[in-house]
Amino acid sequence: MAPRIGLKSLEKRRTLIDGVRSNLHVLAIGVKYFVNPRRMTLVYPKEYPRLSEGYRGFIILEKKKCISCAACARICPSAAMKMIRVMEPDPKHPEKPRMKQYPVINYQRCIFCGYCVDVCPTEALYHVNYHDVVYDNLAEMFWDLDTFQKEPEYKTALEGRPVRIMVHEELGLIKVPVGEGG
Amino acid sequence: MSGEVRVYGGWRDDLGLKVIPTRRLARDVYEVFIGPQHPGSGHMRIIIRVDGDVIVEADPDIGYVHRTMEKLGEIRGWIKPIPLFERMAIHDACNITLPYVRAVEKLMGVEAPLRAKYLRVLLCEINRIAAHLYGFAIFGVFLGHSTMYMWAMGDREVFIQLAEELTGARLTHSYPIPGGVRRDIPQGFPDMARRAVKYMRKRLEEYRKIFLDNPVIRSRLEDVGVIPKRLAAELGIVGPNARGSGIQYDVRIIEPYEVYDELDFEVPVYTEGDALARTYVRVEEIRQSLRIIEQVVEWLEKKPREPIVDESIYKKYPPLHKKILESQGRAKLLPWMATMKVPAGRAIGRGETGRGEIIYYVESDGGMNPYRVRIVTPSARNAIAFKYALPGHRVMDLPAIYGSLDYFPPEADR
Ligand code: SF4
Ligand code: SF4
Repeated sequence: MAPRIGLKSLEKRRTLIDGVRSNLHVLAIGVKYFVNPRRMTLVYPKEYPRLSEGYRGFIILEKKKCISCAACARICPSAAMKMIRVMEPDPKHPEKPRMKQYPVINYQRCIFCGYCVDVCPTEALYHVNYHDVVYDNLAEMFWDLDTFQKEPEYKTALEGRPVRIMVHEELGLIKVPVGEGG
Repeated sequence: MSGEVRVYGGWRDDLGLKVIPTRRLARDVYEVFIGPQHPGSGHMRIIIRVDGDVIVEADPDIGYVHRTMEKLGEIRGWIKPIPLFERMAIHDACNITLPYVRAVEKLMGVEAPLRAKYLRVLLCEINRIAAHLYGFAIFGVFLGHSTMYMWAMGDREVFIQLAEELTGARLTHSYPIPGGVRRDIPQGFPDMARRAVKYMRKRLEEYRKIFLDNPVIRSRLEDVGVIPKRLAAELGIVGPNARGSGIQYDVRIIEPYEVYDELDFEVPVYTEGDALARTYVRVEEIRQSLRIIEQVVEWLEKKPREPIVDESIYKKYPPLHKKILESQGRAKLLPWMATMKVPAGRAIGRGETGRGEIIYYVESDGGMNPYRVRIVTPSARNAIAFKYALPGHRVMDLPAIYGSLDYFPPEADR
Protein backbone atom coordinates (compact mmCIF):
# COMPACT_ATOMS: atom_id res chain seq x y z
CA MET A 1 0.00 0.00 0.00
CA ALA A 2 1.46 3.26 -1.04
CA PRO A 3 0.29 6.51 -2.48
CA ARG A 4 0.57 6.79 -6.21
CA ILE A 5 -0.17 9.16 -9.03
CA GLY A 6 -3.44 8.60 -10.79
CA LEU A 7 -3.31 10.00 -14.31
CA LYS A 8 -6.75 10.93 -15.49
CA SER A 9 -8.28 12.90 -18.26
CA LEU A 10 -11.50 14.77 -18.70
CA GLU A 11 -14.33 13.62 -20.84
CA LYS A 12 -14.20 15.10 -24.27
CA ARG A 13 -16.51 17.84 -25.34
CA ARG A 14 -19.84 16.21 -25.53
CA THR A 15 -22.73 16.03 -27.89
CA LEU A 16 -25.93 17.95 -27.69
CA ILE A 17 -27.74 14.87 -26.37
CA ASP A 18 -25.31 14.67 -23.46
CA GLY A 19 -25.86 18.33 -22.77
CA VAL A 20 -29.60 17.87 -22.68
CA ARG A 21 -29.25 14.84 -20.45
CA SER A 22 -27.04 16.65 -17.94
CA ASN A 23 -29.40 19.58 -18.00
CA LEU A 24 -32.20 17.21 -17.06
CA HIS A 25 -30.03 15.82 -14.26
CA VAL A 26 -29.54 19.31 -12.92
CA LEU A 27 -33.24 20.00 -13.05
CA ALA A 28 -34.07 16.64 -11.48
CA ILE A 29 -31.80 17.33 -8.56
CA GLY A 30 -33.19 20.82 -8.23
CA VAL A 31 -36.73 19.43 -8.12
CA LYS A 32 -35.69 16.73 -5.67
CA TYR A 33 -34.51 19.30 -3.17
CA PHE A 34 -37.37 21.63 -3.93
CA VAL A 35 -39.92 18.97 -3.06
CA ASN A 36 -37.93 17.46 -0.24
CA PRO A 37 -35.72 20.19 1.15
CA ARG A 38 -33.05 19.16 3.54
CA ARG A 39 -32.47 21.97 5.88
CA MET A 40 -30.68 22.19 9.14
CA THR A 41 -31.43 25.50 10.71
CA LEU A 42 -30.37 26.20 14.19
CA VAL A 43 -32.91 28.65 15.53
CA TYR A 44 -30.42 30.45 17.69
CA PRO A 45 -30.99 31.56 20.43
CA LYS A 46 -34.20 29.56 20.83
CA GLU A 47 -32.02 26.54 20.27
CA TYR A 48 -28.37 26.43 21.00
CA PRO A 49 -25.80 23.75 20.34
CA ARG A 50 -24.65 21.74 23.30
CA LEU A 51 -20.98 21.48 22.51
CA SER A 52 -18.88 18.48 23.33
CA GLU A 53 -17.05 18.16 26.62
CA GLY A 54 -13.68 18.74 25.00
CA TYR A 55 -14.76 22.06 23.52
CA ARG A 56 -12.36 24.90 24.17
CA GLY A 57 -14.63 27.58 25.51
CA PHE A 58 -14.20 30.13 28.26
CA ILE A 59 -11.47 29.43 30.76
CA ILE A 60 -12.08 29.35 34.48
CA LEU A 61 -9.60 29.30 37.33
CA GLU A 62 -9.85 27.06 40.34
CA LYS A 63 -7.90 29.25 42.69
CA LYS A 64 -7.19 26.74 45.41
CA LYS A 65 -5.43 24.43 42.98
CA CYS A 66 -3.22 27.19 41.62
CA ILE A 67 0.41 27.06 42.70
CA SER A 68 1.32 30.44 41.16
CA CYS A 69 3.81 28.97 38.74
CA ALA A 70 2.95 31.48 35.97
CA ALA A 71 3.30 28.84 33.27
CA CYS A 72 -0.09 29.81 31.87
CA ALA A 73 0.88 33.45 31.51
CA ARG A 74 4.18 32.54 29.93
CA ILE A 75 2.75 30.25 27.27
CA CYS A 76 -0.16 32.47 26.27
CA PRO A 77 0.48 33.35 22.62
CA SER A 78 -1.62 36.48 22.68
CA ALA A 79 -0.61 37.76 26.11
CA ALA A 80 -4.19 37.48 27.29
CA MET A 81 -3.26 35.94 30.57
CA LYS A 82 -1.29 37.95 33.09
CA MET A 83 -0.20 37.32 36.65
CA ILE A 84 -1.27 39.70 39.38
CA ARG A 85 -0.14 39.90 42.97
CA VAL A 86 -2.70 39.74 45.74
CA MET A 87 -2.42 39.79 49.50
CA GLU A 88 -4.19 36.95 51.17
CA PRO A 89 -4.15 35.30 54.58
CA ASP A 90 -1.53 32.63 54.94
CA PRO A 91 -3.14 29.35 56.04
CA LYS A 92 -0.14 28.61 58.26
CA HIS A 93 0.13 31.99 59.94
CA PRO A 94 -3.39 33.45 59.87
CA GLU A 95 -2.25 36.67 61.47
CA LYS A 96 0.27 37.44 58.73
CA PRO A 97 -1.01 38.07 55.23
CA ARG A 98 1.17 36.84 52.39
CA MET A 99 1.70 37.90 48.82
CA LYS A 100 0.62 35.47 46.15
CA GLN A 101 0.40 35.52 42.38
CA TYR A 102 -2.63 34.48 40.42
CA PRO A 103 -3.46 34.65 36.75
CA VAL A 104 -6.18 36.92 35.38
CA ILE A 105 -7.41 36.95 31.85
CA ASN A 106 -8.30 39.52 29.25
CA TYR A 107 -10.94 38.10 26.96
CA GLN A 108 -10.37 40.85 24.45
CA ARG A 109 -7.17 39.12 23.54
CA CYS A 110 -7.76 35.45 24.21
CA ILE A 111 -7.86 33.30 21.10
CA PHE A 112 -9.05 30.16 22.89
CA CYS A 113 -6.03 28.16 21.92
CA GLY A 114 -6.20 26.28 25.19
CA TYR A 115 -2.46 26.30 25.74
CA CYS A 116 -2.89 27.72 29.23
CA VAL A 117 -5.26 24.93 30.22
CA ASP A 118 -2.97 22.32 28.79
CA VAL A 119 0.16 23.73 30.39
CA CYS A 120 -1.18 24.20 33.91
CA PRO A 121 0.62 21.59 36.00
CA THR A 122 -2.16 21.25 38.55
CA GLU A 123 -5.22 21.48 36.30
CA ALA A 124 -6.21 24.70 38.01
CA LEU A 125 -7.67 25.99 34.74
CA TYR A 126 -10.47 24.40 32.80
CA HIS A 127 -12.65 25.15 29.80
CA VAL A 128 -16.39 25.45 29.95
CA ASN A 129 -18.07 24.18 26.82
CA TYR A 130 -19.64 27.39 25.63
CA HIS A 131 -18.38 30.68 24.46
CA ASP A 132 -21.33 32.69 23.28
CA VAL A 133 -21.23 35.16 26.13
CA VAL A 134 -21.97 38.80 25.43
CA TYR A 135 -20.54 41.86 27.14
CA ASP A 136 -21.89 45.34 27.31
CA ASN A 137 -18.52 46.93 26.97
CA LEU A 138 -14.92 46.03 26.45
CA ALA A 139 -13.93 46.77 30.03
CA GLU A 140 -16.02 43.86 31.23
CA MET A 141 -13.89 41.53 29.23
CA PHE A 142 -11.00 42.10 31.60
CA TRP A 143 -11.67 39.52 34.21
CA ASP A 144 -10.41 40.15 37.68
CA LEU A 145 -9.55 37.38 40.06
CA ASP A 146 -13.09 36.98 41.39
CA THR A 147 -14.72 36.87 37.98
CA PHE A 148 -12.10 34.45 36.78
CA GLN A 149 -13.20 31.91 39.35
CA LYS A 150 -16.86 31.92 38.39
CA GLU A 151 -18.21 30.40 35.24
CA PRO A 152 -19.83 33.22 33.26
CA GLU A 153 -23.57 33.15 33.24
CA TYR A 154 -24.70 31.29 30.14
CA LYS A 155 -27.66 33.45 29.25
CA THR A 156 -28.48 31.51 26.09
CA ALA A 157 -29.19 28.46 28.20
CA LEU A 158 -31.81 30.33 30.22
CA GLU A 159 -34.10 30.77 27.25
CA GLY A 160 -32.96 28.32 24.63
CA ARG A 161 -33.25 24.60 24.30
CA PRO A 162 -30.02 22.69 23.93
CA VAL A 163 -29.60 20.56 20.83
CA ARG A 164 -26.76 18.29 19.96
CA ILE A 165 -25.31 18.58 16.48
CA MET A 166 -24.56 15.20 14.98
CA VAL A 167 -23.41 13.82 11.67
CA HIS A 168 -25.92 11.72 9.82
CA GLU A 169 -25.05 9.38 7.01
CA GLU A 170 -27.84 10.59 4.74
CA LEU A 171 -28.60 14.06 5.94
CA GLY A 172 -25.26 15.49 6.89
CA LEU A 173 -25.54 17.57 10.01
CA ILE A 174 -28.63 17.03 12.09
CA LYS A 175 -29.78 18.43 15.40
CA VAL A 176 -31.07 16.22 18.15
CA PRO A 177 -32.76 17.79 21.17
CA VAL A 178 -30.93 17.10 24.39
CA GLY A 179 -33.12 15.67 27.13
CA GLU A 180 -33.11 17.15 30.61
CA GLY A 181 -29.75 16.56 32.21
CA GLY A 182 -28.55 14.80 29.06
CA MET B 1 4.03 63.62 -23.87
CA SER B 2 7.36 62.45 -22.65
CA GLY B 3 5.83 59.96 -20.34
CA GLU B 4 6.65 62.03 -17.31
CA VAL B 5 4.30 64.09 -15.25
CA ARG B 6 5.64 66.79 -12.99
CA VAL B 7 4.11 66.40 -9.59
CA TYR B 8 5.15 66.35 -6.01
CA GLY B 9 6.32 63.01 -4.72
CA GLY B 10 8.53 60.54 -6.50
CA TRP B 11 12.11 61.54 -7.12
CA ARG B 12 13.87 64.60 -8.57
CA ASP B 13 14.79 65.00 -12.19
CA ASP B 14 17.75 67.04 -13.42
CA LEU B 15 15.81 70.31 -13.08
CA GLY B 16 15.21 69.54 -9.46
CA LEU B 17 11.53 68.88 -10.01
CA LYS B 18 9.90 65.82 -8.72
CA VAL B 19 8.72 63.30 -11.26
CA ILE B 20 6.73 60.16 -11.24
CA PRO B 21 7.35 58.13 -14.35
CA THR B 22 4.16 57.25 -16.12
CA ARG B 23 3.43 55.02 -19.01
CA ARG B 24 0.95 55.58 -21.74
CA LEU B 25 -1.42 52.82 -22.43
CA ALA B 26 -2.07 51.79 -25.96
CA ARG B 27 -5.10 53.39 -27.52
CA ASP B 28 -8.42 51.83 -26.63
CA VAL B 29 -7.02 49.86 -23.76
CA TYR B 30 -8.73 50.41 -20.47
CA GLU B 31 -7.29 49.62 -17.12
CA VAL B 32 -9.74 47.96 -14.75
CA PHE B 33 -9.06 47.35 -11.11
CA ILE B 34 -10.65 44.21 -9.75
CA GLY B 35 -10.50 44.48 -5.99
CA PRO B 36 -8.98 45.06 -3.54
CA GLN B 37 -12.26 44.86 -1.64
CA HIS B 38 -12.56 41.15 -1.41
CA PRO B 39 -12.85 40.02 -4.98
CA GLY B 40 -12.86 36.48 -3.73
CA SER B 41 -11.62 34.93 -0.57
CA GLY B 42 -9.60 37.84 0.74
CA HIS B 43 -8.24 41.21 -0.17
CA MET B 44 -6.19 41.35 -3.31
CA ARG B 45 -6.34 43.25 -6.52
CA ILE B 46 -6.01 42.20 -10.09
CA ILE B 47 -5.21 45.01 -12.46
CA ILE B 48 -6.38 44.06 -15.89
CA ARG B 49 -6.10 45.95 -19.14
CA VAL B 50 -8.91 45.28 -21.50
CA ASP B 51 -9.28 45.87 -25.17
CA GLY B 52 -13.00 45.93 -25.61
CA ASP B 53 -14.00 42.94 -23.54
CA VAL B 54 -10.79 40.98 -23.92
CA ILE B 55 -8.10 41.03 -21.29
CA VAL B 56 -4.75 41.88 -22.84
CA GLU B 57 -2.69 42.15 -19.69
CA ALA B 58 -3.20 41.17 -16.08
CA ASP B 59 -1.22 41.98 -12.99
CA PRO B 60 -1.97 40.36 -9.68
CA ASP B 61 -1.41 43.02 -7.04
CA ILE B 62 -0.83 41.36 -3.73
CA GLY B 63 0.03 42.50 -0.23
CA TYR B 64 -3.24 43.80 1.15
CA VAL B 65 -3.35 41.30 3.98
CA HIS B 66 0.31 41.20 4.83
CA ARG B 67 0.67 40.60 8.54
CA THR B 68 4.44 40.08 8.92
CA MET B 69 4.05 36.46 9.86
CA GLU B 70 7.73 35.77 9.39
CA LYS B 71 8.81 38.62 11.61
CA LEU B 72 6.21 37.85 14.28
CA GLY B 73 7.42 34.28 14.21
CA GLU B 74 10.80 35.47 15.42
CA ILE B 75 9.68 37.04 18.65
CA ARG B 76 7.45 34.59 20.44
CA GLY B 77 9.30 31.46 21.23
CA TRP B 78 8.93 28.12 19.53
CA ILE B 79 5.47 26.96 20.37
CA LYS B 80 3.51 30.19 20.28
CA PRO B 81 3.91 30.74 16.53
CA ILE B 82 1.71 27.70 15.92
CA PRO B 83 -1.58 29.52 16.59
CA LEU B 84 -0.13 32.46 14.70
CA PHE B 85 0.78 30.59 11.51
CA GLU B 86 -2.65 29.00 11.54
CA ARG B 87 -4.06 32.36 10.69
CA MET B 88 -2.47 32.30 7.29
CA ALA B 89 -5.06 29.82 6.05
CA ILE B 90 -7.52 29.49 8.81
CA HIS B 91 -9.59 26.75 7.23
CA ASP B 92 -6.52 24.66 6.50
CA ALA B 93 -5.01 25.06 9.94
CA CYS B 94 -3.39 21.69 10.52
CA ASN B 95 -1.88 21.43 7.05
CA ILE B 96 -0.37 24.85 7.28
CA THR B 97 1.21 24.48 10.71
CA LEU B 98 2.35 20.89 10.50
CA PRO B 99 5.49 21.56 8.41
CA TYR B 100 6.58 24.20 10.92
CA VAL B 101 6.08 21.78 13.76
CA ARG B 102 8.02 19.15 11.86
CA ALA B 103 10.89 21.54 11.23
CA VAL B 104 11.04 22.37 14.94
CA GLU B 105 10.91 18.68 15.74
CA LYS B 106 13.91 18.08 13.50
CA LEU B 107 15.86 20.73 15.39
CA MET B 108 14.80 19.42 18.77
CA GLY B 109 15.47 15.84 17.81
CA VAL B 110 12.06 14.59 18.84
CA GLU B 111 9.62 12.64 16.77
CA ALA B 112 5.91 12.15 17.07
CA PRO B 113 4.90 8.62 17.96
CA LEU B 114 3.07 6.58 15.36
CA ARG B 115 -0.35 7.22 16.81
CA ALA B 116 0.23 10.96 16.81
CA LYS B 117 1.30 10.75 13.18
CA TYR B 118 -1.93 9.07 12.26
CA LEU B 119 -3.86 11.70 14.19
CA ARG B 120 -2.05 14.45 12.34
CA VAL B 121 -2.84 12.89 9.01
CA LEU B 122 -6.46 12.55 10.08
CA LEU B 123 -6.81 16.24 10.84
CA CYS B 124 -4.80 17.21 7.76
CA GLU B 125 -7.20 15.35 5.52
CA ILE B 126 -10.26 16.72 7.30
CA ASN B 127 -8.77 20.16 6.74
CA ARG B 128 -7.99 19.43 3.12
CA ILE B 129 -11.60 18.50 2.43
CA ALA B 130 -12.86 21.56 4.27
CA ALA B 131 -10.45 23.78 2.37
CA HIS B 132 -11.50 22.38 -0.98
CA LEU B 133 -15.15 22.74 -0.10
CA TYR B 134 -14.53 26.33 0.88
CA GLY B 135 -12.83 26.82 -2.46
CA PHE B 136 -15.80 25.28 -4.22
CA ALA B 137 -18.20 27.52 -2.42
CA ILE B 138 -16.34 30.63 -3.50
CA PHE B 139 -15.96 29.23 -6.97
CA GLY B 140 -19.66 28.49 -7.20
CA VAL B 141 -20.72 31.96 -6.23
CA PHE B 142 -18.16 33.45 -8.63
CA LEU B 143 -19.88 31.62 -11.42
CA GLY B 144 -23.29 32.72 -10.23
CA HIS B 145 -24.10 29.22 -9.08
CA SER B 146 -25.26 30.04 -5.59
CA THR B 147 -26.56 26.52 -4.98
CA MET B 148 -23.00 25.29 -5.05
CA TYR B 149 -22.04 27.98 -2.59
CA MET B 150 -24.72 26.93 -0.12
CA TRP B 151 -24.09 23.24 -0.53
CA ALA B 152 -20.34 23.39 -0.24
CA MET B 153 -20.44 25.71 2.75
CA GLY B 154 -23.04 23.50 4.38
CA ASP B 155 -21.11 20.31 3.79
CA ARG B 156 -17.91 21.91 4.95
CA GLU B 157 -19.66 22.30 8.27
CA VAL B 158 -19.73 18.50 8.59
CA PHE B 159 -15.96 18.39 8.49
CA ILE B 160 -15.62 21.35 10.77
CA GLN B 161 -17.80 19.44 13.19
CA LEU B 162 -15.44 16.48 12.93
CA ALA B 163 -12.45 18.70 13.57
CA GLU B 164 -14.23 20.27 16.52
CA GLU B 165 -14.91 16.89 18.10
CA LEU B 166 -11.28 15.98 17.64
CA THR B 167 -9.56 19.16 18.71
CA GLY B 168 -12.06 21.28 20.62
CA ALA B 169 -12.06 24.18 18.19
CA ARG B 170 -13.81 24.70 14.92
CA LEU B 171 -11.02 26.22 12.89
CA THR B 172 -8.09 27.27 15.01
CA HIS B 173 -7.16 23.82 16.16
CA SER B 174 -3.51 24.47 17.16
CA TYR B 175 -3.38 20.72 17.05
CA PRO B 176 0.15 19.56 16.33
CA ILE B 177 2.83 20.48 18.84
CA PRO B 178 6.51 19.60 18.64
CA GLY B 179 6.65 15.95 19.64
CA GLY B 180 3.07 14.97 19.06
CA VAL B 181 -0.48 16.19 19.05
CA ARG B 182 -2.72 17.60 21.74
CA ARG B 183 -5.72 15.32 21.76
CA ASP B 184 -6.54 11.73 21.05
CA ILE B 185 -9.79 10.82 19.33
CA PRO B 186 -12.83 11.10 21.60
CA GLN B 187 -15.36 8.34 22.15
CA GLY B 188 -17.52 7.66 19.16
CA PHE B 189 -15.33 9.62 16.79
CA PRO B 190 -14.59 6.77 14.35
CA ASP B 191 -18.27 6.14 13.70
CA MET B 192 -18.93 9.81 13.29
CA ALA B 193 -16.08 10.09 10.79
CA ARG B 194 -17.37 7.06 8.86
CA ARG B 195 -20.82 8.58 8.65
CA ALA B 196 -19.34 11.83 7.39
CA VAL B 197 -17.33 9.96 4.77
CA LYS B 198 -20.38 8.07 3.53
CA TYR B 199 -22.38 11.26 3.43
CA MET B 200 -19.74 13.16 1.52
CA ARG B 201 -19.35 10.40 -1.06
CA LYS B 202 -23.04 10.67 -1.86
CA ARG B 203 -22.83 14.41 -1.98
CA LEU B 204 -19.95 14.36 -4.43
CA GLU B 205 -22.19 12.43 -6.79
CA GLU B 206 -24.75 15.21 -6.49
CA TYR B 207 -22.09 17.86 -6.90
CA ARG B 208 -21.13 16.18 -10.14
CA LYS B 209 -24.66 16.36 -11.40
CA ILE B 210 -25.49 19.87 -10.38
CA PHE B 211 -22.15 21.56 -10.84
CA LEU B 212 -19.43 19.69 -12.67
CA ASP B 213 -21.59 18.18 -15.38
CA ASN B 214 -23.87 21.16 -15.55
CA PRO B 215 -23.66 22.28 -19.18
CA VAL B 216 -23.54 25.93 -18.15
CA ILE B 217 -20.65 25.40 -15.78
CA ARG B 218 -18.86 23.17 -18.23
CA SER B 219 -18.99 25.67 -21.00
CA ARG B 220 -17.70 28.35 -18.68
CA LEU B 221 -14.75 26.24 -17.56
CA GLU B 222 -13.74 24.12 -20.49
CA ASP B 223 -10.62 25.43 -22.24
CA VAL B 224 -10.71 28.51 -20.04
CA GLY B 225 -7.56 29.71 -18.31
CA VAL B 226 -5.34 27.04 -19.75
CA ILE B 227 -1.92 26.79 -18.14
CA PRO B 228 0.19 24.44 -20.25
CA LYS B 229 2.41 21.99 -18.44
CA ARG B 230 5.62 23.71 -19.43
CA LEU B 231 4.41 27.12 -18.31
CA ALA B 232 3.17 25.71 -15.02
CA ALA B 233 6.60 24.22 -14.40
CA GLU B 234 8.39 27.44 -15.33
CA LEU B 235 6.20 29.54 -13.08
CA GLY B 236 6.61 27.12 -10.22
CA ILE B 237 2.90 26.62 -9.70
CA VAL B 238 2.07 24.08 -7.03
CA GLY B 239 -0.77 22.04 -5.71
CA PRO B 240 -3.98 21.18 -7.53
CA ASN B 241 -3.22 23.89 -10.08
CA ALA B 242 -0.01 22.16 -11.11
CA ARG B 243 -1.66 18.76 -11.03
CA GLY B 244 -4.40 20.10 -13.26
CA SER B 245 -1.70 20.89 -15.80
CA GLY B 246 -0.26 17.41 -15.81
CA ILE B 247 2.60 17.94 -13.37
CA GLN B 248 2.99 14.91 -11.15
CA TYR B 249 3.99 16.69 -8.01
CA ASP B 250 2.66 16.22 -4.54
CA VAL B 251 4.78 16.38 -1.41
CA ARG B 252 2.83 13.47 0.00
CA ILE B 253 4.35 11.36 -2.76
CA ILE B 254 7.75 12.78 -3.51
CA GLU B 255 8.70 13.14 0.12
CA PRO B 256 6.10 11.34 2.20
CA TYR B 257 5.81 12.77 5.66
CA GLU B 258 4.02 11.42 8.70
CA VAL B 259 2.35 8.19 7.61
CA TYR B 260 1.36 9.07 4.09
CA ASP B 261 3.58 6.34 2.67
CA GLU B 262 1.63 3.69 4.57
CA LEU B 263 -1.73 4.75 3.26
CA ASP B 264 -3.43 3.72 0.09
CA PHE B 265 -4.53 6.66 -1.97
CA GLU B 266 -4.10 8.24 -5.34
CA VAL B 267 -2.97 11.70 -6.27
CA PRO B 268 -5.10 12.72 -9.22
CA VAL B 269 -3.36 14.39 -12.13
CA TYR B 270 -5.19 15.81 -15.10
CA THR B 271 -3.38 16.92 -18.21
CA GLU B 272 -5.73 19.47 -19.73
CA GLY B 273 -4.60 22.42 -17.65
CA ASP B 274 -7.87 24.33 -17.92
CA ALA B 275 -10.19 25.53 -15.21
CA LEU B 276 -12.27 22.38 -15.46
CA ALA B 277 -9.24 20.15 -14.95
CA ARG B 278 -8.24 22.08 -11.84
CA THR B 279 -11.75 21.70 -10.52
CA TYR B 280 -11.73 17.97 -11.18
CA VAL B 281 -8.41 17.61 -9.36
CA ARG B 282 -10.03 19.06 -6.27
CA VAL B 283 -13.07 16.83 -6.50
CA GLU B 284 -10.86 13.76 -6.89
CA GLU B 285 -8.75 14.93 -3.98
CA ILE B 286 -11.77 15.14 -1.76
CA ARG B 287 -12.60 11.59 -2.75
CA GLN B 288 -9.07 10.42 -1.94
CA SER B 289 -9.05 12.29 1.36
CA LEU B 290 -12.22 10.47 2.30
CA ARG B 291 -10.41 7.20 1.62
CA ILE B 292 -7.51 8.31 3.79
CA ILE B 293 -9.83 9.28 6.63
CA GLU B 294 -11.42 5.84 6.50
CA GLN B 295 -8.08 4.10 6.68
CA VAL B 296 -6.72 6.30 9.42
CA VAL B 297 -9.83 6.00 11.55
CA GLU B 298 -9.74 2.24 11.13
CA TRP B 299 -6.12 2.17 12.30
CA LEU B 300 -6.77 4.46 15.24
CA GLU B 301 -9.67 2.33 16.35
CA LYS B 302 -7.87 -0.99 16.04
CA LYS B 303 -4.59 -0.08 17.66
CA PRO B 304 -4.42 0.28 21.42
CA ARG B 305 -4.05 3.80 22.71
CA GLU B 306 -0.50 4.90 23.34
CA PRO B 307 1.02 8.20 24.39
CA ILE B 308 0.54 10.78 21.68
CA VAL B 309 3.68 12.70 22.54
CA ASP B 310 7.30 11.79 22.04
CA GLU B 311 8.94 9.42 24.52
CA SER B 312 11.34 12.12 25.76
CA ILE B 313 8.41 14.36 26.63
CA TYR B 314 6.25 11.58 28.02
CA LYS B 315 9.08 10.57 30.36
CA LYS B 316 8.89 13.97 32.01
CA TYR B 317 5.15 13.80 32.55
CA PRO B 318 4.14 13.86 36.22
CA PRO B 319 1.54 11.27 37.25
CA LEU B 320 -1.32 13.76 36.95
CA HIS B 321 -0.50 14.42 33.31
CA LYS B 322 -0.34 10.72 32.55
CA LYS B 323 -3.70 10.23 34.17
CA ILE B 324 -5.27 12.99 32.12
CA LEU B 325 -3.81 11.60 28.93
CA GLU B 326 -5.27 8.22 29.77
CA SER B 327 -8.69 9.36 30.94
CA GLN B 328 -9.37 12.34 28.69
CA GLY B 329 -6.94 11.73 25.85
CA ARG B 330 -5.53 15.20 26.36
CA ALA B 331 -1.78 15.57 26.06
CA LYS B 332 -0.70 18.28 28.47
CA LEU B 333 2.05 20.71 27.66
CA LEU B 334 4.97 21.03 29.98
CA PRO B 335 5.76 24.43 31.49
CA TRP B 336 9.27 24.54 30.00
CA MET B 337 7.79 24.45 26.52
CA ALA B 338 6.80 28.11 26.79
CA THR B 339 10.40 29.21 27.08
CA MET B 340 12.27 26.25 25.69
CA LYS B 341 15.51 26.59 23.85
CA VAL B 342 16.01 24.72 20.63
CA PRO B 343 19.48 23.54 19.60
CA ALA B 344 21.13 25.67 16.93
CA GLY B 345 20.63 24.49 13.41
CA ARG B 346 18.57 24.78 10.30
CA ALA B 347 15.65 22.75 9.21
CA ILE B 348 13.23 22.65 6.35
CA GLY B 349 9.68 21.53 6.78
CA ARG B 350 7.51 20.89 3.79
CA GLY B 351 4.03 19.63 3.40
CA GLU B 352 1.11 19.53 1.04
CA THR B 353 -1.70 21.82 2.04
CA GLY B 354 -5.03 22.02 0.29
CA ARG B 355 -3.59 24.58 -2.11
CA GLY B 356 -0.18 23.06 -2.67
CA GLU B 357 3.24 22.79 -1.21
CA ILE B 358 4.21 24.87 1.78
CA ILE B 359 7.81 25.24 2.87
CA TYR B 360 9.15 26.47 6.17
CA TYR B 361 12.79 27.22 6.63
CA VAL B 362 13.48 27.45 10.34
CA GLU B 363 16.80 28.53 11.71
CA SER B 364 17.74 28.44 15.35
CA ASP B 365 20.69 30.08 17.02
CA GLY B 366 20.13 28.04 20.13
CA GLY B 367 17.96 30.66 21.74
CA MET B 368 14.43 30.96 22.97
CA ASN B 369 13.14 32.38 19.70
CA PRO B 370 13.56 31.19 16.14
CA TYR B 371 16.33 33.15 14.48
CA ARG B 372 14.48 33.06 11.20
CA VAL B 373 11.29 31.52 9.94
CA ARG B 374 10.93 31.74 6.21
CA ILE B 375 7.55 30.72 4.90
CA VAL B 376 6.71 30.03 1.30
CA THR B 377 3.04 29.40 0.96
CA PRO B 378 1.35 27.75 -2.00
CA SER B 379 -0.84 30.75 -2.79
CA ALA B 380 2.24 32.96 -2.93
CA ARG B 381 3.56 30.71 -5.66
CA ASN B 382 0.25 30.46 -7.47
CA ALA B 383 -0.44 34.21 -7.58
CA ILE B 384 1.72 34.62 -10.67
CA ALA B 385 -0.61 32.32 -12.60
CA PHE B 386 -3.08 35.18 -12.94
CA LYS B 387 -0.65 37.04 -15.13
CA TYR B 388 -0.46 34.22 -17.62
CA ALA B 389 -3.84 32.56 -17.39
CA LEU B 390 -5.98 35.65 -17.82
CA PRO B 391 -4.83 37.38 -21.02
CA GLY B 392 -6.82 36.42 -24.06
CA HIS B 393 -10.01 35.78 -22.13
CA ARG B 394 -13.04 37.91 -21.75
CA VAL B 395 -13.66 39.76 -18.52
CA MET B 396 -16.49 37.38 -17.67
CA ASP B 397 -13.93 34.57 -17.54
CA LEU B 398 -11.99 36.28 -14.79
CA PRO B 399 -14.13 34.96 -11.93
CA ALA B 400 -13.99 31.49 -13.43
CA ILE B 401 -10.21 31.58 -13.59
CA TYR B 402 -9.82 33.21 -10.19
CA GLY B 403 -12.08 30.61 -8.64
CA SER B 404 -10.41 27.71 -10.37
CA LEU B 405 -6.98 28.80 -9.14
CA ASP B 406 -8.37 28.75 -5.60
CA TYR B 407 -6.16 31.64 -4.65
CA PHE B 408 -6.27 32.64 -1.00
CA PRO B 409 -4.78 36.09 -0.33
CA PRO B 410 -4.22 35.85 3.45
CA GLU B 411 -2.09 32.82 2.83
CA ALA B 412 -0.13 34.40 0.01
CA ASP B 413 0.56 37.68 1.77
CA ARG B 414 1.48 36.05 5.09
S1 SF4 C 1 -6.61 30.11 25.67
FE1 SF4 C 1 -4.70 30.71 24.69
S2 SF4 C 1 -4.94 32.89 24.30
FE2 SF4 C 1 -6.51 32.35 25.80
S3 SF4 C 1 -5.57 32.78 27.76
FE3 SF4 C 1 -5.19 30.61 27.30
S4 SF4 C 1 -3.18 30.58 26.34
FE4 SF4 C 1 -3.92 32.70 26.27
S1 SF4 D 1 -0.33 27.42 35.24
FE1 SF4 D 1 -1.95 26.79 36.65
S2 SF4 D 1 -0.92 26.64 38.63
FE2 SF4 D 1 0.44 27.83 37.31
S3 SF4 D 1 -0.13 29.96 37.71
FE3 SF4 D 1 -1.34 29.28 35.94
S4 SF4 D 1 -3.26 28.59 36.86
FE4 SF4 D 1 -1.79 28.71 38.52
